Parts: sequence; C-alpha cells; structure tokens
Amino acid sequence: MSHGISRRTLLGAALSGGLITPLLAGCGALVPASSGSNALTVHTQISGAVAGAQVFSDVVAAYQRSTARKVALLKNGSDLPIVFETSTLAGKEADVAIVNMMGRTLSWTRLGATVPVNDYLDDWGLRDLIIPEALAEWTDDKGRLRAFPFTRTNWPVSFNTGLLEEAGVGAIPTTSDELIAAADALRSKGIGPVTVGGSDWSGQKMFLQILQGFITQDEARTVFSTGKISESPGAVAGVEHFVELRDAGVFVDNVQGYTSDSELTQFNTRKAAIVPAMSSALALVPNERAAEVTVGGWPMPSGGGVLERPSVIKSFNGHGIWISENGLKKLDLIKPFVQNLYTPEVTDEFILGSGRDMSRVTDTVSKDFPLVAQGSRLTDDDVTPVMLPDLLIPDAVFEPMIQATALAYGSAPADRIIDAFEKSYQAV
Amino acid sequence: MAQRAAVARRLPLRDRIGSITSGTLAWIYAALLVIPFYYFIVSSFKTNEEIFESPLAWPTTFDLSNFTTAIQQADLGLAVANSALTTVAALVLTLLLALPASFALARARGRAGKIVESVFALGFLIPSFAALFPTFLLAAALGLFHTRTFVVFLLPATALPLSIVILTSFMRTIPRELEEAASMDGASSLQVLRQVYLPICVPGIATVLLLNFLSFWNAYLYPLILIGPDTAQRTIQVALPTLKVDAGTDYGVLMAGTLFTLLPVYLVYTVLQRQMQRALLSGAVKG
Repeated sequence: MSHGISRRTLLGAALSGGLITPLLAGCGALVPASSGSNALTVHTQISGAVAGAQVFSDVVAAYQRSTARKVALLKNGSDLPIVFETSTLAGKEADVAIVNMMGRTLSWTRLGATVPVNDYLDDWGLRDLIIPEALAEWTDDKGRLRAFPFTRTNWPVSFNTGLLEEAGVGAIPTTSDELIAAADALRSKGIGPVTVGGSDWSGQKMFLQILQGFITQDEARTVFSTGKISESPGAVAGVEHFVELRDAGVFVDNVQGYTSDSELTQFNTRKAAIVPAMSSALALVPNERAAEVTVGGWPMPSGGGVLERPSVIKSFNGHGIWISENGLKKLDLIKPFVQNLYTPEVTDEFILGSGRDMSRVTDTVSKDFPLVAQGSRLTDDDVTPVMLPDLLIPDAVFEPMIQATALAYGSAPADRIIDAFEKSYQAV
Repeated sequence: MAQRAAVARRLPLRDRIGSITSGTLAWIYAALLVIPFYYFIVSSFKTNEEIFESPLAWPTTFDLSNFTTAIQQADLGLAVANSALTTVAALVLTLLLALPASFALARARGRAGKIVESVFALGFLIPSFAALFPTFLLAAALGLFHTRTFVVFLLPATALPLSIVILTSFMRTIPRELEEAASMDGASSLQVLRQVYLPICVPGIATVLLLNFLSFWNAYLYPLILIGPDTAQRTIQVALPTLKVDAGTDYGVLMAGTLFTLLPVYLVYTVLQRQMQRALLSGAVKG
C-alpha cells in the first residue's frame, strides 16, 4: 500500500509542529504586549481600516519613545464592546477603552464597568480644552461624564455640483420642492438623485433626520426614546413627508437594498449626485470627485416644517476615552497619556493626517480632506443642526428599527411605516 | 478521445441521457463554486469603484498594494503566526488524544467500550455557543483568560468527538489478525498502535487533520473572547474584521486580507486532500 504521505512524514510534521509551537511562542512579537505590570493597556476601536488608525498608532509610538513609558494597544472593531465586557467580568479589562457611545457602551458607567471622569477633567486640566457641547453630550442624566470626548461627527449632505449642472440644476437644493425638482432633472439625464444605505444604519439616520424636519428637539427626544410616532403629529407629518419624497423619486432606484458602503461608491462613481455621509466617510471621497462637490444640509420641508435652514446631524458622539476599574489603579500612567492626546500637536495630526473631526477646541481645519473641511465650516447661519438619536434609542431597538426604516425605503405607506417603527420598540 | 466517444455511442440512450444530465449538473455546480471564487480573487486587485462598477471584469492591474495595506492595517502577519501556533498545537494535542482513544475503542469488545464511545458521541449534542459562558468562567478560574494556551486546550476538546468517531471507524476496518500476529511476535499495545494501525490509518488521520485544521483555523467566537484583542496574541479571524469599517469599507483590501488568510488553508488542503479522498473511497469500498 502506497500513500502520498508516509507515516514518518506525518508524525514528523506533527512532532515538528509540537516543537515549533513553543519556540514560536517565545518570539518577542508574539509575547502579549499587555503582560507587563508597568504597561498601560489601551483597548481601542481606532484601529485597522478606521480613519485615523495609523495616526493613532504613530501618536502612541511617539509617546512611548518620548516618555519611555510602555503602552499596550489592544485592537478591535465593532466587536470591542463585547470583548471589553467579558474582559471586565474576568477582571482583565484594559485600563483605558477608546470607543464610541452607542448601544452597549451606554450602560458602562451606570454598571460600574467604567468610572465617571468628572474629577479628572479639572485635575488634569482638560475642561478648557474640550468643546463644552461635547462634554454635555457625554454626560449622562445623573451628571456623570462617561468618558473624555475625543473625536466627533458631522453628518452633512454632499452634492455633486458637476452632475447637478449636467442636469440643468444651477444651485444645490435647500427646500424639499427644490430637491424634488432636482431629482426629476437628474433622473431625466439618467443620473441617480439621492443615494443612501436603505438597508442599514445610514438609511435609518436619514429617515430620522427627515423626521426632525417636523419636530422640535424636545419632541424628538420623546419620540426617539419612546418610539411613539403616532402620538406626535409632527413625527407623523415627518413620516408622510418622507413618503412624499420617496414617491417623488428623490432616492435612487432600489435604495432599499443599499448599504453605507454602496451609497458612497455610487456617489464616488457619479452614479448618484447627492449623498448624506458622516465626516469620516467624507474623508474617503477621492480628490478628483471632491473637486466637484459642495457640502450642505438636507433640504428643509417646503411647507409645515420646524426648520429655518437645511438640516445637518451634528454629534460629538465619536470616540471617547473611557477609564475602567483596572484603570483606577494606573491613574498616574493614564493622566500623561490622556493629556498627550489633547495636545494641539496630536489634535492637528488627527485633523490634518486623517480628516477626523475632533472634540478638542481647535482652529485647525483639514487641508487634504476638502469635504471634511467644508463640513466643519458649516455654521448655524448655513444649516440647522439636528440630533444624532443614537443616545436615545435603546440598545435592543437598533436592529428592529433598521428593519422598519428599510421598509420605509420600499413602497410601504406611512401608516405601515409608523406601525413597524413603533413595534420595533416592543423589544425593550 | 475517439475511443471514449465510441464507448459513449455504445451506451444505451437512457444511460447517455443520465450521463449528460449528471455531467451538466456537475459543471453547473462547479460554476457555482468557481464564479464567487473568481469574483473574490479579482476583487482583491481592484478599487471599490471597480468592484461595484464591473464586478466580474478582469483587473486592470495586478498591483499588490491591497495585500500590503491589509497586512499592515490589520497586523495580519502576526495574526497568521498566532493562528498557526494555536492551530498546530491544537492539532498535535488532538491527535495525541484521539489516536490512543480510538485504538482502544476499536479493539474493545465489551459493553464498556460501547458506552465510552457513546459518551464521546454525546459531544455532538452540545452547541458550541451554549458552552461559551461556562468555558469563559473556566478560563477565568484557571487564570488562563486572554491566553492562547487555554484555546490550545479547548479546541481539541471540541474536536475529539468527531475525530474519535472517524478514527475508530477507520481502525475497525483493520483485520484483527494483523494485531494478533504482531502480538504473537511480542509487540506491546503501543507498538501495535505505532507499527500496525498507524501506517494503515494515514488516510483517516489526514481526514481528521484536514477537518480539524479548517475548524481550528476558522474559529472566531472563542478566540475573540478567550484570547482577546492583544495584537501579539489574536488570531487571524479576530484580526480580519478590523478591515471592515462602518462607512467606506475598502472591499479590495478586505478581499485581499481574506485571500491572504486562505492561503494556508489552500496549502493544507492541497497536501492532505488526496489522503482524505482515499479515506472516503476506502470507506465506500469497505462499507
């Protein structure tokens, strides 16, 4: 009997593997960076392909070189919260977590997984460095500052003026009637009007932004935290307005199936002329395309709305710097690390090197990311800021709500959309 | 070729139709597998715009920048080393445990052997997700949380039921006379296992190795929770998702990163597939 692999080869391979394994384990690069007791462990979501990941790594490396202090970076993407939580259960969580405030992380301070940072804000001299609205947004209803606000997000609307001109539209639309007329003109030239990820969170944000055209910010807080659209005449009008825009062909065909990635690609490839996208995504628009793009707000309702100008979602809910229970034992290491992250030099590196919007007070404006710069230059004279509802929507509602908003991008009538939206809150 | 055509002409009409139908279905099935794989490979050399504009078009360039970006952004080099480390160590441990256990079960004739075999088969009934929390508690209690060591011990435990079932079935096909002859020559049980059973079981061992390699290499949830996010320890399946971002994922880079992680799988499959096919055929003939 002859075999492709001899017994000797197979056993040899197995034994070699067994011998190589511990040898490899001894390699320096494979030794856990977090193993040293003097190391500050930082669990960060600013990693991988996230905008600013390289800048952050470089900043940390430079900090280590200049201070001779060891910082171990632990990296995760969207799975960071669950990894941090299980680590906390085992008492092995990182000293610092850099993650946004959404879903699971909203309960961290309340549950004691992380500590409020109010005291350190003044002790470490950070209060005057951080935008006051950012501090307000990161403070919970009991006055606890959950984390130091680090990055923030603008959510403007990008208009490809080159395509609008091709369709005979001279100015970017600022009202819903102008938007519908622009969509008609674009469609007649075979160009898609507004593209958005109808099947994911980006479509959800757009839907909720349109609703806010008919409700005050106080009403919005009630509606988004309870889900009771039918009890708010303004919110009902907002849904009806959404349906009116949708049925008038404002959104690209088959928008129900698009994601946040496909919307950006459609915009970048001139398949669609208008896209609502957050600032970190705007940093990814190629310069060639950015040259023909003007950034503005979502057109306000032509009649019956509460807005005076086009709306833009403005939020300070980017990444925050959280301190864990373990971190309390290493405050002497955390203090200089955090202070370094709020130096003007580091802020500039993030803005200029990655197009990030930062929560630190600064005059620096992005140069190589023109759309991000345009977005950050929008003032209240140009647009009306509306809220990012993530802080109000209960964690368990997120996914069901996205299903409801995906339904809205199909052909469902307003009453069915409202019903689906309200049902999504039953998960609470 | 002409000879094959002549043979085909001699086949009855019903057999020819059956042959053509099965051949067509086989080609369709092959196409179903090949088209996504082709899409996957060509996309790793494209930009997002090219991927979405013309998904199946040939790349305009075979620039490797997507691969270097993926490797650099997600620290894939370290992640591959970690995956190799845990996978190889777990495979060795699995074989060290499964081979003697299967040998004993294959030779057992009494009721105890059957009971023990059934106990191993019970392992199939435990959904891996359900075991996550107790496993996490165990790792924390042992002080092995956030280490590769715990996963190296855990993975064989999950793989033993299938490995033992396969190897036991394989060893049962070996004529008992061979063992008796070796015993008469003075061979100990260990020698019988090494000198008689192992050489004949190579296809079965290769099958177990291949199946377990795929399972260990592709494990995500347990390494994510138990090994953790330290780049010096995390495995490839934990590192890879960091290439996906909320908005503006570079799919060319993501595909390149995924392709990079598949290379070891392809290499192992290439080495072991012939043995596995031999094991399957041997089972079909002997069964």
